[in-house]
Amino acid sequence: MSDTWTVAGKELLDLRRDRLFAILIAFLAVATLISVAVASADFRNQQGAYNLYVANLVKSGTSIAPAAPQLFPLKLLRGGIEYLEILGALFAIVLGYETIAKEKHRGTLALVLSRPLGRFSFAGGKMLGLSIAWLGVVSALTVVSLLAVVTIGQAPIRGSDVARLLVSSGFAWLYLVFWTALTVGLTALSTRLSTGLILALIIWLAFVLIIPQIGDTMDPDNQVPGGLFATLRIKKPDELAVLAQFSAFDGIRNGLEVSSVTKHFERLTFAFLGIKDQYNQQPLGLVWVAMLPYSITLTAATFASVVFAALATTRRTLQRTHS
Amino acid sequence: MTTLLTSARHEVLCILRAGVALLLLAVFLCMVSLSSVIGWITNTTVTRVYEKVLTDGLTTAPNPFTAVSPLYYARNSVIYVVLIGALLAIVLGVQSTLRDRKSTTSDLVLSRPVNTISRLAGTLVGLGVVIAAVLLLSTVISWGSISIIVGAPLGPDPSLRLAVFAALSWALMMIFALLGMLTGLHSRKETTALLVPFVVWSAVTFVLPQIGANARPVALLNPVPALITTGTNSFDLVGAITGPFAITEQFKRAAGIALQDESLTGSPTASIVLLGAFLMAMTWIVLATSRRQLRSGLNE
Repeated sequence: MSDTWTVAGKELLDLRRDRLFAILIAFLAVATLISVAVASADFRNQQGAYNLYVANLVKSGTSIAPAAPQLFPLKLLRGGIEYLEILGALFAIVLGYETIAKEKHRGTLALVLSRPLGRFSFAGGKMLGLSIAWLGVVSALTVVSLLAVVTIGQAPIRGSDVARLLVSSGFAWLYLVFWTALTVGLTALSTRLSTGLILALIIWLAFVLIIPQIGDTMDPDNQVPGGLFATLRIKKPDELAVLAQFSAFDGIRNGLEVSSVTKHFERLTFAFLGIKDQYNQQPLGLVWVAMLPYSITLTAATFASVVFAALATTRRTLQRTHS
Repeated sequence: MTTLLTSARHEVLCILRAGVALLLLAVFLCMVSLSSVIGWITNTTVTRVYEKVLTDGLTTAPNPFTAVSPLYYARNSVIYVVLIGALLAIVLGVQSTLRDRKSTTSDLVLSRPVNTISRLAGTLVGLGVVIAAVLLLSTVISWGSISIIVGAPLGPDPSLRLAVFAALSWALMMIFALLGMLTGLHSRKETTALLVPFVVWSAVTFVLPQIGANARPVALLNPVPALITTGTNSFDLVGAITGPFAITEQFKRAAGIALQDESLTGSPTASIVLLGAFLMAMTWIVLATSRRQLRSGLNE
């Protein structure tokens, strides 16, 4: 166990000194801030348009005004979550690749492996160090998000909002560890280091971008701007009744979407943060019950990915890797 | 001239021998081929949904897909060029310049009476030929699959539009290939060489559209543009500054108009000019690389 901790400690020390890692995390934090700023500017625009509309109604003598737009603080984080989905996964891949590549490039791998290390000490230590690093990054991003919502978004935050954000941060951590572990395994298995990185990028492309894109394309309500059913002026209950008759097609579409780990992460965080209207302002317990299958699958996927990394990163696979 | 042609031929050979690059090429071609089929399946289902709604008397609105262009089935290809095509171009570009630096063959090549510009231009021509060949193949596949779906060969106008779309795709992919070449020439580590263009691509593709047009980061994945609430001073001002740099958005706009996407109106001229300007600027920057830089080794 002490070997594992030593490798983990060295990994954390390397990451603390790594400028590239700092730049990537800063980029993610800036992107999150931008997304909150854009979302709050958009809300203020909506509010301005509403005030103008109400003023015009008052001038024309009409007293019945539509409901005012309501600000839900955690909804401002939608863009930040989407950046984590795409860019966070990309950076997690880079981190996973670097952890193996640097040992090879520096020539320290042979030195480390000349010591009496346990079967899983090297891979375990690497994964432990990276998991701790991601925990630190996710915690920092959570604080940045909270501060952005309060200061840039000028939205009041309640205790329950913080709890929802913390749960979502937990899932973000699992999601990032999943991608890092997958890349560690792939890089260890590839005979050429760059092949491991490019393979991980192809998987990222397929599961983060292409599969959700196909799911979006196949959504019947996603065919015309504003939505098909809104264009045809069909009410929600009728829409559901019609769609129920096309359940096979919708099953295939949904099946495609849920084959992507990114969609699991998205559905979980959107539900807990109330970004999806169906779960907005619902009690946390109710959201947990509804999201239990997704939380199990994301946890299982991350566990499987870590196991894959541990099994793939052996003395034999590491030593046959060419730079 | 001999240097240019030899370098170009060498580049084509290297790409054909690189397994990972070929895998990416296969993914790109596969997705473009599937694009029409996915569009057709969805269109058929949505038409059945509309007919059901009409039969049940729930709407009197006309079918929004009645007068849809045959090129509707190619609209997903625009997204695949931005996602897969651009990343493929980056990987090819990085490998083209990093290859010699990794194996230190630059010293050997440049010990000969070889002009640096000819050497780099040759590599660029080789990349351009491979990307053009991939796009030619994907256009032929799209033309064939759409012709099968609509039950007749595409006429001259849609065929020409598909060719324009391929030309625009080539310009975008070459910009990213040049970006890859540039980082391959200047980075001290292979990871940085691959990562920097990826980060630039993600910033240009996901972050800039959000700053300038209030588009959500994943809006790119949606085949239908979101109803965006701009038209306000703040977004218009920022959009005017960031818009020209959001080249993937410029490409989407020009390509969408070429493919008769009804949600896009206006002239594609400004977008095409911007893409051309970026292509020329990037080419100039890459060709201006010094002999010393070409010979610089990697720091790993």
